Amino acid sequence: MNPPVEHTDVAAYALGVLEPGDRAAFETHLASCARCRDELAALAPAAARLREERDARQDTT
Amino acid sequence: MTVPAVSRPVPSRPAVDADAVVAALYRDHGGTLLTFVLRLTGGDRPWAEDVVQETMIRAWRSAARLDPAASPMPWLATVARRIVIDDRRRRAVRPAESGDTPLEQFAAREAAQELDALLGRVVLDEALASLSAAHRSILTETVVRDRTVNQAAAALGIPVGTAKSRVYYALRALRAALEDRGWRSAG
Ligand SMILES: [Zn+2]
Repeated sequence: MNPPVEHTDVAAYALGVLEPGDRAAFETHLASCARCRDELAALAPAAARLREERDARQDTT
Repeated sequence: MTVPAVSRPVPSRPAVDADAVVAALYRDHGGTLLTFVLRLTGGDRPWAEDVVQETMIRAWRSAARLDPAASPMPWLATVARRIVIDDRRRRAVRPAESGDTPLEQFAAREAAQELDALLGRVVLDEALASLSAAHRSILTETVVRDRTVNQAAAALGIPVGTAKSRVYYALRALRAALEDRGWRSAG
């Protein structure tokens, strides 16, 4: 049912915008993919910055 | 006075046309800078306008050192912020409003934190604005609107796989744009 996991799903995962099933599948992939773990570490700060800003702006509206 | 079209290594004077640089800064960033400074001055418009003017004078002096490829907004905001802080300090030493009580120190610290948050927001907005329309819209449709990538794909009428890979390239571009503007992930 779900499409296969791609390495590039790491960004949607970091941003927290994967569907629950895809998120679980990606976490399984992450456990065995060093490339995605590296990329997650590299992208996480920018992803966190964007989510933090979204949350801050939601609080003020 | 003629300005050489090609910059020459003349150490005594800048090879850039400082007047043109500052005119462009006013045109492109004057409004944003004034909005930013108004927050710092608590809505005091005459003061804010003085600060913007002083910032532009300093930009004019530093025109040769400004990197034309980078956004000048973080630089302008940092300089403006320093001017506001110096102004406050000058006002504080006046006897009528002697200003080193714990409450005032607390207020100053609060203000500094608010300024940092503001500056961070300016940098993020500029970084987002520098992205391609496709990259900006996929981030807006997912993160900003708090939707999953599947919901965003449906809203945009594109395949889920396309939306996911677009999120990937958009986030990489955003990170590069943030770093170009001096943003450091440490915080
Ligand atoms: Zn992978």
